Amino acid sequence: MTVETDSATAGTVAAAAAEPGAAPTSRLARVPVLGRITRWNRWARLVALVGVAGPGLVAANAGNDAAGIATYASAGSQFVYGTLFFMVLVTFALVLVQEMAVRLGAFTGKGLGALIREQFSLRATGLALGCLLLANTGLVVSEFAGIGAGFELLGVPKWAIIPPAALLLWGLVLFGSYRYAERIFLVMSLVFFAYPIAMIMGKPHWGDVGKNLVVPHLSGDKDFILLAVALIGTTVSPYMQFYAAAGVVDRGTRTIDYPLIRADAVIGAVFACTISLTIIIATAATIGGTGPLNSAADAAKALQPVAGANAELLFAFGLIGASALAGAVVPLSASYAIGEAAGVERSVSRSFRDAPFFLSLFTAQILLGAIVAMTPIDVIQLLIGTQVLQGLITPVVLVYLLILTNRRSLLGAHANSPRYRIVATVVVVGVALMSTILLVETVLGWFGIG
Amino acid sequence: MASTISRSSTHAPGPRTSGAGTSALLMSTTAKLRGRRVQLVRQATASKSVRDVLVSLAGLTGRPVLNPVGDEVGRVVDVVARLYGNEPYPPVTGLVVRVGRRRSFLAATAIGQIHADRVQLKSARMDLSEFVRRPGEVLLGRDVLDHQLVDVDGVQVNRAADLYLAPVGGRVLLVGVDVSLPTLLRRLGPKRWQTRATPDRVVDWQTVAPFAENATDGPAEVKLNASRSALHRLRPAELADLLEDLGRAERQQLLAMLDPAHAADALEEMEPAELENLLREAPPESAARIIEEMEPDEAAEALRDLQYDEREQLLTHIGDDEAAQLRELLAYPEDTAGGSMTTTLVTARREQTVGEVRAELATSAEHRTEIDAVALVTEDGLLLADIPLFDLAVAEDRTTMGEVADWLSQFTRDEAVAATARLGEVAERLVSSRASSLLVVDEERRPVGRILADDVLDYLLPARGRLHFRRFLQ
Repeated sequence: MTVETDSATAGTVAAAAAEPGAAPTSRLARVPVLGRITRWNRWARLVALVGVAGPGLVAANAGNDAAGIATYASAGSQFVYGTLFFMVLVTFALVLVQEMAVRLGAFTGKGLGALIREQFSLRATGLALGCLLLANTGLVVSEFAGIGAGFELLGVPKWAIIPPAALLLWGLVLFGSYRYAERIFLVMSLVFFAYPIAMIMGKPHWGDVGKNLVVPHLSGDKDFILLAVALIGTTVSPYMQFYAAAGVVDRGTRTIDYPLIRADAVIGAVFACTISLTIIIATAATIGGTGPLNSAADAAKALQPVAGANAELLFAFGLIGASALAGAVVPLSASYAIGEAAGVERSVSRSFRDAPFFLSLFTAQILLGAIVAMTPIDVIQLLIGTQVLQGLITPVVLVYLLILTNRRSLLGAHANSPRYRIVATVVVVGVALMSTILLVETVLGWFGIG
Repeated sequence: MASTISRSSTHAPGPRTSGAGTSALLMSTTAKLRGRRVQLVRQATASKSVRDVLVSLAGLTGRPVLNPVGDEVGRVVDVVARLYGNEPYPPVTGLVVRVGRRRSFLAATAIGQIHADRVQLKSARMDLSEFVRRPGEVLLGRDVLDHQLVDVDGVQVNRAADLYLAPVGGRVLLVGVDVSLPTLLRRLGPKRWQTRATPDRVVDWQTVAPFAENATDGPAEVKLNASRSALHRLRPAELADLLEDLGRAERQQLLAMLDPAHAADALEEMEPAELENLLREAPPESAARIIEEMEPDEAAEALRDLQYDEREQLLTHIGDDEAAQLRELLAYPEDTAGGSMTTTLVTARREQTVGEVRAELATSAEHRTEIDAVALVTEDGLLLADIPLFDLAVAEDRTTMGEVADWLSQFTRDEAVAATARLGEVAERLVSSRASSLLVVDEERRPVGRILADDVLDYLLPARGRLHFRRFLQ
């Protein structure tokens, strides 16, 4: 041991002597720090493997972004507890859909984009991915609108904040420090865990809550249908299925671990919807029945039982974090799926020359999203509008998902069983029905009928 | 690869199609084109004469099959080609045709001519039979088009946007794969665009490794394919990139095409997480064979990432000696010198001459990356000195190792590290001794392995910045 210490000291001296003027100590001091980071990553991966933060959980909770909060809050303020039973149905749908997505990923080892390209005709692939792109661009709009709304609560006008925010997000993803920024955004968005506390402190009418959770309140009222489709859209967003499947593929989990993956997906979906329910209940308890949500400030009132006068500040904080987090992930996941289908998987480098297709798609979505978010439309209407768009597109993507999971040639013994097939078909048809009713009502509305 | 660069062409021989001379031309052109990545004369494939000869597979499906009189007798559903044979370009062996509501197989011998928008039969009589896949055959439309394949020349994983067939000397051959994005747009467009070949970025079929599902059913020797030898020309790092980009089934197929030693070199270059998945998905026997071929330190690293039962399963398939060695390495914690060292060592005694040691080194060429010094030990195997290859290279043949060591001891100190030393410490010692590797010794100062600078770097560097989905999940 003494020999070693000796030679180490001698070595350090030698290094210092070899490089006069340089600071060898600082170079040496950096080494253990780097070591710790890689060790931390390994630990984090281990945790992920156990399923604490698996792709299912991440994917489902990504639904609780700016537009999600706006939609749930609007449901609470407009219909009080009236949408609760519907949300229970949506939870069931989400569980089913996420399970199908991760099953495809786990047993084929391919992302949804690649699977659709291989299993459907090119035109059908074009349709599916076109829909995904449209829906995701809508989502990006809502994320930037969310950032704008968050800053407006803090007194910064949105035209002053959206362009730099878009540029910053774009730059962070392209030039590499996004992973660190992501952690900050993630921590910021944890603010929304204040909702369950706000719900309890807001003293909702628990009897009404219980009754509405089990007794259906379904009305053909256009406002209700519109909000219901938005709820579907924000909870069962098309991109989440792509995201969850890609996550499973990327982790390369063993197929015998599938029960774990499924558990992760199911727990994730239920957890996300539970948070959504608490947002609805908390908002309903504070401003329920005051009609449609007018502004982000209204939505922030739901947090008053927790934060009192600082509710707006807290809400703004969470809104900015959640929006920024999703603002990068959403366009990336669409670009990834489309790149996968187009066959340009090999996007090794982050330079435009090497991955032009992938990065142009990403850039275009951010650009378009930021521009639309700048338009002086009422922000809450814009947020809900993008979710209605999602809701209209969701059934299209679900049909592909259903067909793929039904295919025995693809999944073998893991294809949908006859019973599962019936349930899944009912869910997809149900979702499609809501969208169709909304479409028909809207079109009839244009012609002044209904 | 920027889309403006069009590599290799389809070598469709143009309008001068005629017998044997053509295939000679075909061969020589290919030979000239293979193995380089250059800006290729775009005109070669884009010229009208070539374009007229090429038949787009995507455009051909759904087109009519006509009898000599010109009446429609059926529609093309798919094209069958013998993908895994001895021919450099797969010949079309028949068509799957829909006649009425039935799908049947039409042998190539019955086909008069294949045009871009129709198939002309030779005779009025049409022999239809049930399609049965023969060894080496695949359905091009179902199994190859829109699926992943490896472009060996361009070293990338692509998806076939279109396949081009060309009549050559009485047969129809699959000559190239279109991998360009505009071709996808063409296929999305109206029907009359479909038949027009757009050979902008076409990869020569000879430099492609396809992964048609079920295509490798036949006897083992038919798997031998021209592209297989091309695969072996790839550098390990390139192969690693390809493996990382492929889907689950495809990467196992590619792995099966490689010999274990070559595969092992590639796997050593892969991202740890990807390697972990690959080993876990491969059949244990072949995974074990590859691990045997890997350098011990890399193999231990790979095994360490697996779960206990997976690791044990692989170890039981590995030869006893190798398995024991790997278990020994696995016993050290990962972030210590012992956990990252290689056990490939060359040792020598004082009385051996430099010439003898050099001769011994010459026999371990396959470990060239692991050896950069020779450990000088006593009779009992205790460490005396570590002699870098440079000093062996410049010493006279008849000098003894002892003399070299004595001479070296004037300038250098003994820098061996303990097997339990942390990697951070090893890094500092590497920096201070300005060596590219350090010997690792046990408590009695017996050399047990060597830790190379790149092992320490692997540990210190954050994961490589590939634009993989994983990055966005973390």
